[in-house]
Amino acid sequence: MTSTALHEATRRDGDRLLATTLRTAAPRTAALVLIATASTGAALLLPAVLGHTLDLLLKGQATRRWVALCAALVCVPAALDALGEYLNATTTARTTARLRRTALGHVLAAGPRATARMTPGDLVARLVGNAAQAGTAPATVAGTVTAVVGPIGGIVALALLDPWLALVFLAGAPLLALLLRAFTRASTDSLAGYQRLQGELAGRLMEAVGGARTIAAAGTAARERDRVLEPLPGLSRHGHRMWRVQGRSSAQATALVPLLQIAVLAVAGLELSRGALSVGDLLAASRYAVLATGVGMLVGHLGALVHGRTAARRLAEVHALPPTVHGTRRLPADGDGTLRLRGVAAERGGRTVLRGVDLVVPGGSTTAVVGRSGTGKSVLAELAGRLADPDAGEITLDGVPLRELAHDELRRQVGYAFARPALLGGTIGGTLAFGSFAPPPEVVVDAARAACADDFVRRLPDGYDTACAAAPLSGGEAQRLGLARAFAHAGRLLILDDATSSLDSVTESRVADALLHDVAARTRLIVAHRLATAERADRVAWLDGGRVRAVGPHTELWRLPGYRAVFEG
Amino acid sequence: MPNQPNHPLLTHLSRHRRVLAVLAAWSAVEAAHTLTTGYALARALDTGFLAGRPATGLLWLAAAAVAVVVGAYGTGRTFRGVAALVEPFRDALVRRVVTRALGDGDAAAVSRLTHQVEIARDTFAGLVMVTRSFVFTAAGALVGLFLLAPVLLAVVVPPLLLGLGLFLATLRPLARRQEAFLVADEALAQSCGEACAGLRDIAAGGGEARVRTDTGALVDAELRASTALARWSVARAAALALAGRFPVVPLLVATPWLLDHGVTPGALVGALAYLTQSLLPALQSLIHGLGTSGSRLAVVVRRLTAPGPAPASAPIPASAPAPAVTDATAPAVELRRVTFGYGAHAEPVVRDLDLTLPPGTRLVVVGPSGVGKSTLAYLIAGLLEPSSGEVRVGGAAARAEGAAARRVLIPQEAYVFSGTVGDNLRYLRDDPVGEREVLAAAEAIGADALVRRLGGLDAPVTPDELSAGERQLIALVRAYLSPAPVALLDEAACHLDPAAEARAEGAFAARPGGTLVVVAHRAGSARRADRVLVMDGPGTVAGTHRELMARSASYRELMGGGRRSSHPAGAARDADRVHPVARPGLPGDGGHVVAHGSVRQVEAARDLADGGALGGE
Repeated sequence: MTSTALHEATRRDGDRLLATTLRTAAPRTAALVLIATASTGAALLLPAVLGHTLDLLLKGQATRRWVALCAALVCVPAALDALGEYLNATTTARTTARLRRTALGHVLAAGPRATARMTPGDLVARLVGNAAQAGTAPATVAGTVTAVVGPIGGIVALALLDPWLALVFLAGAPLLALLLRAFTRASTDSLAGYQRLQGELAGRLMEAVGGARTIAAAGTAARERDRVLEPLPGLSRHGHRMWRVQGRSSAQATALVPLLQIAVLAVAGLELSRGALSVGDLLAASRYAVLATGVGMLVGHLGALVHGRTAARRLAEVHALPPTVHGTRRLPADGDGTLRLRGVAAERGGRTVLRGVDLVVPGGSTTAVVGRSGTGKSVLAELAGRLADPDAGEITLDGVPLRELAHDELRRQVGYAFARPALLGGTIGGTLAFGSFAPPPEVVVDAARAACADDFVRRLPDGYDTACAAAPLSGGEAQRLGLARAFAHAGRLLILDDATSSLDSVTESRVADALLHDVAARTRLIVAHRLATAERADRVAWLDGGRVRAVGPHTELWRLPGYRAVFEG
Repeated sequence: MPNQPNHPLLTHLSRHRRVLAVLAAWSAVEAAHTLTTGYALARALDTGFLAGRPATGLLWLAAAAVAVVVGAYGTGRTFRGVAALVEPFRDALVRRVVTRALGDGDAAAVSRLTHQVEIARDTFAGLVMVTRSFVFTAAGALVGLFLLAPVLLAVVVPPLLLGLGLFLATLRPLARRQEAFLVADEALAQSCGEACAGLRDIAAGGGEARVRTDTGALVDAELRASTALARWSVARAAALALAGRFPVVPLLVATPWLLDHGVTPGALVGALAYLTQSLLPALQSLIHGLGTSGSRLAVVVRRLTAPGPAPASAPIPASAPAPAVTDATAPAVELRRVTFGYGAHAEPVVRDLDLTLPPGTRLVVVGPSGVGKSTLAYLIAGLLEPSSGEVRVGGAAARAEGAAARRVLIPQEAYVFSGTVGDNLRYLRDDPVGEREVLAAAEAIGADALVRRLGGLDAPVTPDELSAGERQLIALVRAYLSPAPVALLDEAACHLDPAAEARAEGAFAARPGGTLVVVAHRAGSARRADRVLVMDGPGTVAGTHRELMARSASYRELMGGGRRSSHPAGAARDADRVHPVARPGLPGDGGHVVAHGSVRQVEAARDLADGGALGGE
């Protein structure tokens, strides 16, 4: 598909999403439209009725019915507006919530492959920000009635009162706008300067925060504060200038509507003295002139519609993320955990990372995967536990293709530990228990002990109940938590992707011992850079340029100079 | 809410009374427009158009047009007044955020600085504008009504006051709902953030259902919060209707009576113009503006000014002029039954530790990572306060005034700031230091080549362009130049190669009377030590290298003696480094507060990116 066709397709998807959203909220949207129509109609009627009532009052005629009508035209739209405001807010909130839940479902179904297309930050922006923007669609659509009918009605009403009034308004509006525009010397340089200095301040603070311990130890906090704050006076200067610029343009904007209104009033006054209009008509004309200037708001409203549409498009892209489809099969109960890769190939970013990989990891064994960086070790680890699917070839566990395994079975039987684990689940204890099932506490503590994490967890302010956000962890400590989590959930196959890279050698060897003796996993696939890991493994798979160069015990491979070179780099 | 006693906003406003006066003056000019809106219209009708003198009518309208332009000028000038209030407010917030960030080393402060401070600034400005505009517009309209016919006030003011009263009564509950909504929104955003950043781990653990439930619950919580907020918006709309829209009705009802009592038709039209064109829009923006941005501002300001989480390293009294009161006969470092833990419920990291180092000692601390070696260094430096026991450096309490003159700490994450090379190297000296002395120090540490490459002492240095090792060299030279006799190296040379590390450690050990405590990164450091402290929980023990090899199993294991090795390959040396090489200062460098810095975290982050495991294009 060409990029423009793709673009067209996502736009269509976005519009379709928007349409579905409106359909789901149809009753509420309809109610909002009705309310808006009634309220706008009342707002358009009121000046005429008010004017007529005033005329009658001035003539000294009985007007009880007309006063009552005025009161109704004041109170009913007020009540409608209150109801509308409530409906508007709740409809937006409900629609937003629904969009968020759906989009989150799509993100979770797509899994890690979602981040191959959008960064995590981008995804969050879509789930939180764009969903909220698209969620306003029903309310915005209903608001269009007021935004369009109000100004047009105002102009029509002016014309009905007296064609000259409408003419003055229509001719005067662009003329005045142009006149005022001529005085606007919008300068954007102050904004740029402001942002530059803000960035500089942030940069200085970032530097100093990075050296917080040096600064604390040297007692130089006051000096550092002065250094960080050096750009502040400049920032303030730019800020003042921005306000001045904004003041100028606001002054121009606030002058426009009253001046137009005075122009209309002047014509109405002349017509009044000619006897063509009444006092009440003049009152109505001045009000209609204000309603007619609502044209300016129309632009803002269209902007909101466009925003909503763009947001819907970005959400549609989330919906379009391909979900991971799982099968329904289970593993044979008597399997020993043999992992088999046949003719496996994988591409990343248009580059072939793995090709023709054939590898058997015998059940119950520990196999290390080594190779220089960029040879596809991590991709192999991803494929081995189906965090991604290969572009060609097949991967089976105990003879069952991973694609055909049920989701629960797959995640229960295959565990992972990573170099930089994400600590989900709120507390340290929660993060260790996080997964398709929550192991009992004693299993969690045993796993933490096996991963050499129990000691430092107990030293945290609230032990296992410490909130992850409140626990400042080093990379090595986070890795040990990730290992403990994997140990606590160990099934048939355990995949360690560089999961001990930040551990010191003593801790690493303690963890490795525990992995061999205390952890229930039958088969272990370990991606590592360390020599010690390769030495300890039953077998080593040596990856080079996306292919398996050799498989065998470390001592045998060590004879190959190319293999030795992997550990020297 | 802004009307709490001693609120930072109120304090700020009361400090800027003069600015407020100027702002009020310009707002009065702006209100001239409001005043003339109805009055000029009334006069134009009564003395002009209705009296058969259209020219007079036009003149009155022209006067109103002039008032519009003058008022608009006033509007423009009020922005300067707002700037004079808001900009100092922003400055004060920035100062607070920076001071606090430097105190607790919290990298989140940068977001506070750029994002939340700006929200606070904008909403504060909005509040000032809206409130000011309402007060002066209302005043202008009421004065205008009074000028037209004082009796008009009797008809208009009661519903206005009632409506305003209703609005003020809803302000507090509305603000509470608004705050609840903001909190729910933030919790949801954070949860989504964690989920999106942890998609790989969620998939790997099969935790999708749980995340869907947990985050879904937050989505529902936010929905509930916004529904509760929407309910209060009905009260808000009622207040607006009562104060802004309803007064037209009593005015019409009273019209026959008013006409009988000398109120002119023009005055009636003018009064209606005041109601619909001045008061109603001003009320609208007040009620919408105060209801939402008011509580948003209150939340943000409270968050910005609230004391942060207890800093991990308590500040030490400033050391500026105090001379180094070092007792030459006292031990350089002395710990007596020191116990320390990171919380009341936490197991202590250091328990009942006794340690005495005579001046000139070279102590090396070894142990598995996370065991508390850095914590010990911070205790000696006085950055942490022991739960019990006593730490003395150079005869004085570790946290006593002038500590900076008695010991220098070089943490793992070397601090280099944008400035000249010389500024960075002389950082710890208050007295002028000659170029010769600085260069000699650089040579002793082995940083002379780096200083030359950077272009000498006066050349500017950009921290991001230095490697982690180069940054450490700069920090080491800086510490070497410090007058403090006790040097604490906390893995301060972990990014240098073994030879460079040995040279740097040697230079410190050779400082006359210099005491050196090294938190070791490589086994080699321990072999060079006079004394070694092995930290390993209950197995903590001190002695010489030889003694410990005989006595401590932990120590033998740390020295690599306990592990089988299939071959003596040189390659093993580098793979066995206690920590991998990494470069700090990358974006996202968290600046973690407690032991064991962000460096390895960053390393891991880079691994992920390099591996390209999940990254597409």
